[in-house]
Order: sequence, then structure tokens, then C-alpha cells
Amino acid sequence: MKNKSVVPFMLLVGGAIAYGLSVIFKRFPTMPPAASAEAAFVDSAWHGLLVVEGAVYAMVMAFLLYCVFAFRARSRDEQGDKFDHSRGHFVEVAWIAGSIALTLALAALGTHELRRLISNPEADIDIEVRAQQFSWEFYYPRFKQFGAKLFLEKGKRHRIILTSKDVVHAFWVPEFRIKQDAVPGKAIPMIITPTKTGEFTMMCNQLCGWGHTDMLATVEVLEHEQFEQALNSEF
Amino acid sequence: MTDLIFGLVSGVGAFVLGSAVLGRLLGPQAAAVLSYLASLLIFLAVVGGAKALRSYARGAHPEEKHGLARYFSFDVDHKVVGIQYTAAALIVFLVGGLMALIMRLELARHGLQFLSPQQYNSIMTMHGISMVIVALIATAGGLGNFVVPLQLGARDMAFPRMNALSFWLLPPAVLLLLAAPLSGGLDFGWTAYAPLSTQGSTVGKIYFFLAFITAGFSSIFSGVNFLATALTMRARGMSWTRIPAFTWSVISAAIIQIMGTSVVAASLIMVIFDRILHTSFFNPELGGNALLYQHLFWYYSHPAVYIMILPAFGAILEIIPVYARKPLFAYKLVIASFLAITALSFVVWAHHMFTSGMWMLLKLPFMINTELISIPTGVVFLAVMGTLWRARMRLDSPMLWALAMTANFLIGGLTGIPLADAPTDLHLHDTWFIVAHFHFTIMGGAVFGFFAGFHHWFPKMTGRRLNEALAKTQCALMFVGFNAVFIPLFWLGSHGMRRHVADFPAWMDPVQTFASAAALLVAASVVLFIFNVIRSLRTGENAGDNPWEAITLEWKAPSPPPHGNFKTPPVVDRDPYDYGVASKA
Repeated sequence: MKNKSVVPFMLLVGGAIAYGLSVIFKRFPTMPPAASAEAAFVDSAWHGLLVVEGAVYAMVMAFLLYCVFAFRARSRDEQGDKFDHSRGHFVEVAWIAGSIALTLALAALGTHELRRLISNPEADIDIEVRAQQFSWEFYYPRFKQFGAKLFLEKGKRHRIILTSKDVVHAFWVPEFRIKQDAVPGKAIPMIITPTKTGEFTMMCNQLCGWGHTDMLATVEVLEHEQFEQALNSEF
Repeated sequence: MTDLIFGLVSGVGAFVLGSAVLGRLLGPQAAAVLSYLASLLIFLAVVGGAKALRSYARGAHPEEKHGLARYFSFDVDHKVVGIQYTAAALIVFLVGGLMALIMRLELARHGLQFLSPQQYNSIMTMHGISMVIVALIATAGGLGNFVVPLQLGARDMAFPRMNALSFWLLPPAVLLLLAAPLSGGLDFGWTAYAPLSTQGSTVGKIYFFLAFITAGFSSIFSGVNFLATALTMRARGMSWTRIPAFTWSVISAAIIQIMGTSVVAASLIMVIFDRILHTSFFNPELGGNALLYQHLFWYYSHPAVYIMILPAFGAILEIIPVYARKPLFAYKLVIASFLAITALSFVVWAHHMFTSGMWMLLKLPFMINTELISIPTGVVFLAVMGTLWRARMRLDSPMLWALAMTANFLIGGLTGIPLADAPTDLHLHDTWFIVAHFHFTIMGGAVFGFFAGFHHWFPKMTGRRLNEALAKTQCALMFVGFNAVFIPLFWLGSHGMRRHVADFPAWMDPVQTFASAAALLVAASVVLFIFNVIRSLRTGENAGDNPWEAITLEWKAPSPPPHGNFKTPPVVDRDPYDYGVASKA
């Protein structure tokens, strides 16, 4: 294989693998099925990054494997080629420029998605989620009562206010994607807009002691009428 | 050797006696702190610190020792200290590895197999802190102490007695750490977040913090020593741009050790104070702030991972030119990137805290800085790729380890991107995606880099060759096994597998069982390694001075080098990577 053909070879291999990965990931999802509006921001950044990571991985591995097979010493006396300084500097500058460009593009993507996630603090429904070692309590201000389950209404923006009685815990439903720590001494809001009805498991996601493994709770997302019904019968 | 025995007996004795006597007056935790401080000083004095201080005060040279017993004594020769560090790192690696095997056995299926949640938490905490210690000391402390003065053309380190002190701080720390889970258990992981870590009154938790702080002091003294040696003891002709990449990487790591460690020590001392003096640094009910711990902890612990990886980068960039028979590509850019990584490493810490509840706009600068640090990190790959291009590769075991490290760190580094990106991190934080990411960078990168350096410098350190066939088999087995364990964990993490838990939903079973089986391959490779080292130490082939035909100064000294390293101080007249270029001599 001619030396000059390595770069187009890498681009071809990289592009093919990136395309192949995107097909594979559609068939074997890398994330649980999204069930919140916020998941869209996370997933679009995630899939974009996966493509970039996959392509870079494929191109670098292709190059390394090519080198290992093409540039082996045939005897212990062989020395490598004295490399050409001028071309070397060009490669260094090009590499740095390329990595700066790629990094800035990724930073722009991340900033864009982050702003979309944190820009809107408005909500339709307020719920207080109180964490303690090792259980959750859900306080509904509308009813001024505690519930055992977290009831959410599909399509509505919920402001979940996280507090903790003792140590740092965290609220996480993988299908909703974003998680938030519950810190003692603070009341931290997060916005969740469920987009699918169903039952989900919420898990404590910050090591909080011996009972961390089983600190789980059930989340039920319901359509409007069932939501009202469920809350009224609960309280 | 007798000093060590007396030191251990008097140190442990003082600790037990102090804990028993003071325990009644002050409570077990405060008693543990005071007893440990006293016993540590007693141990250090008896093992050789007192003799060293006396000789220093008199202006006398430290005693030169001979024979195997010096490895069990307060010997100030940097080569002895380097081997002591390497042996200690390998022992702690075996301990941490055993913990990992136990964890993987428990995690092979959902439900609790044979551990209670408390036992799992303790074992997991011990695994974490052991491996963090190994990653910090193995390459920089072990290989670095041996190799750096030789590469600089120096007779020893700038402060030989302090060097021995750095090492001897570690055995008491490790002993105390081993006692910690047996004295009430550890439920907080190696990151020991407050206020969880300020809770409860069992004394083992205090041991954890005391051991961590001790290791921190060891690290600071070591860093000062490396920096002073590089600044003042270079051979004639060795300009800053002729210092080999490995030494540059250890210098960079030393800067981080000096600048960062005291901050985490402060946070751990604050935890100890909250526990025994009932201060309220981290207690919000009395005016404290739980997030303060996280900021102080991660301010060091993120740069700490660069202490772990920079010497590994240095090792493979040292190795690849030798076995490719070509100069290191972009060598000056590599030096610049090591320094850039060092500087940038201090402004990225809160990417560990995107979900912590800190001020939400802080997410932005930390995300950007974390993404920026990928630029100098990428230069390492440029150097590897550029050096391999049109090389004449000898696929000896150090080269294979270096290539394996590169492949692993490629995955480790690339999977850091969705973690730097705050929106995706909001999902991935505290899941096994993170666990897989840091195992790829720390184990796949730093530990594989250590094995690369170990196989490369073993002939110089011992005068013998390791068996190449065994070494290559070990490399292949560890590479395949390691990747098989950790690649599936990325997938598990993004699908909801949390960190620090002993149980998981049943649908994860096939993947978990597979990972546990693959872990046995890694264990087998470690057994092969131990066998190779022990056999080679006893009956290995004689290495000669320069079995790899390398150019850097350490290969000009005998294998192993005598006290003082070089008969006459070497003079440097060529760049360190002039392979394939005629010597100017």
C-alpha cells in the first residue's frame, strides 16, 4: 500500500465505520427509550458525539494497525527513515488546528444543548422530592400531603424541588435522562416533562450509605384525567 | 532489616497502646488520630529517620548499604527507593485486584450472592482507594525514582534522605488502610463525600482519612524531590529540550503533586475535625456546606489523574522510539502538551460536579475547559502515530504494551467526551459509563503504561531479562480480558447501571456474567506476570548494559547501576531520540 494513500484510506474507513455504527445503534439502542422532553437534548448531543468518537476511533486504529503490519523491521539492524523536519512541522500544525476546530465544534454543540436545558425555569406543576437514608418522600404542595409514589402528568412541565434530610442523594430516572443531586441544606429545582405514560423506576444515584442499592421509588406518568384521579384518590 | 522490625513493632505497639489508653479519655476516633500521629513518627524515627536526621545535621553522607537487606531498610539510594516503590505498588495492586475479583464474583448475577451490602461497600471502597494509590505511585514513584536521575545523568536525587522518607510513609498508611474496613466498615467509596463521611462513629473511617493524608505527604515530598533534581542536577549538555519524554512527564506530574495535594489533605482534615471536634465545615444545619467538600476534593483529585497518566504517556513515548528505531515525532510539542495538561488540569475539576447542585452557570466554563484539555492529550496520539509512520518496528514486549496502552487510552479518552459535555453527563454521571471510562484511562492507560515501562526498564533495574514469550502472552491476555470486561460496562451504564451498588435488574445478567468471566482472564494474566518476575529474578538471562539498544543516559550505566550511577559524570552531545541518525561522537 503506498504511503500517500493512508489519509484517504483512513477517511474512507472512518466514514464507513461511522455510518455503520449509526446503523447499529439504531438497531441496538445505546440508551433506554426516551420518556421526557429533556431527553431529546441529551440524546441529540449523545448521538452526535457517538458518531465523532466512532469515526476518530476507527481512523486512529486503522492507522495504528496499518503501521504495525507495514512497518515491521525485517532484521535487528534496520533503522527507521530519518524523517523530514519540514513535513513534520506541517503535520503538527495541521493536527493542532484540526483538534482545536473539532474541540470548538463539540463545545458549541454542548453549549447549545446546555442552554436549551437550563434556559426555561417555568413549570406547570410543583412537587417536592425529599431524600433521606434510605427512602424517598413526595410532597404535593397542592394537597399539602406526602405520597408514596411520584405521580407525574404526561406533557406537563414539573418543577421537582430536591431536598435531603441527611447526606447527598440523587434523583434519577434513566428514561428521563437528566439527574440531579439532593443536597442537605439546599433546595434544588429540576424540570421534567414526561412524554410517555407508564411506570418507571427512580433510583438514588449518589452513594448515600449502606442502603444505597435499594433506595428506589416508583414513578407513574399518567394522562391528565388519570393523573387527577390518582392524586385525588391518594389524598 | 532489624530497624524495620523494631520500627514496625514500636509503631504498631504505640498505636495499639495509645488507642487503648487515650480511647477512654477522648473517644476512639480522637484517640486513633493522636495515636496514629505518634506511632507514625516513632516508626519513621526507628526505621531510619532518626539516623538520617543525625547524619544530615552532622553533614555526613548517608550510609551506603549492600545486599538484599537494603530493600527492607531506610536506604537513600534512589534505585533502592524506586524498587521499594515498585514492589509496594505491585503488592497493593494485588490487594486491590483481589477486591475487584470479589466484587466481580458478587456482581456476576442480580441479587446478593454472598456479600451483604455493607461488605460490598467496604470492599468496593478498598478497591477504589488501593487502585488510586497504585496508579499514583507505580510509574512516577517506582519507575520514576529509578530512572529519572539516571536519565538526567545525576548521581542521585536532589534530596536522597527525603526520598527514603517519601517511601517509608507508605507502609504505615497501607497497614492502617487495611485495618479500616475491619474496624466498622467503609460505606462511602474512595471519594468519601461529606456529609456521609462525617457520619457515624466507627473508628475504621478515621483510619481511611489518616492513611489518605499520609500518602498525600509522601506524594508532596516526592514531587519536590523530582522538581529539584530536574532543576539542579542535569548532566552537562542536557538542555531542557534534551530531557527525555519520560523525565519530562514525571516533572509535570511532580508540579501537580506539589500544587494540588495539600488541598485534598485540607478537605480530609476538615472531615476528621467534623468527626472528632464537631466542627461543621460540611454540616449545613450549623452553617456548613456539603458542596465545599466536593470542590476541595476534586480540585486535587482531578489533577491527580494526570499524575497517574502523564508518567504513563512519558513511558510509552520513551519506549516507542527505541523499538521503532526512529526519533520521537513532535517531541517538543509533546513537552509543551505535558505542561499544557498540567496547567489545564487545575481548571476542570467541577466536571465531576455537573449534577451536584452547584451554581448552574458553572457548568459552562468547566465543560469548555475539559474539552480544551483534549487538545494537548491528542498530541500524545500524534506523537505515537508520527513515530510509528515509516518506522522499523521491533515487536518486543515493551512495544506491545505501549501499543496496547495506546489502543486502550484511545477508548478512554474518546469516552471522556460525552462526560465533558454537560448535557450528556447529566445522564451518564455516577453510572457505569463513568466506571468504564476511568478504567480505560487508569487501568488501560496508566497501568498498561506501567507494565510497558516495567518490561522496558526491568533489565536496567535488575540486570536480568524477563521471559519475552511469557511477557507477550501476559500482554495479550490482559488486553483481551480487560477490554472484554469493560467495553460492555459502557452499555450497561448508559442503560441505567448505577455506581456503588451491589445489585441490579435481572435483565442485565448476561452482560454481567460475561464481564465477570472475562475478569478471570485479567486475573490469570496477573498470575503469569508474578510468575515471570519471580522466575526472571532468580534465573533470568543476563541483560547486559543496553539490551534494547537505546540512546538515553540510563542505558550508559551498568545493569543494575552501582551507587553514584556513573563512573564519570556523563556529557550529553545529542538529542535523546536520534535513532537512525549518525552519532556526533
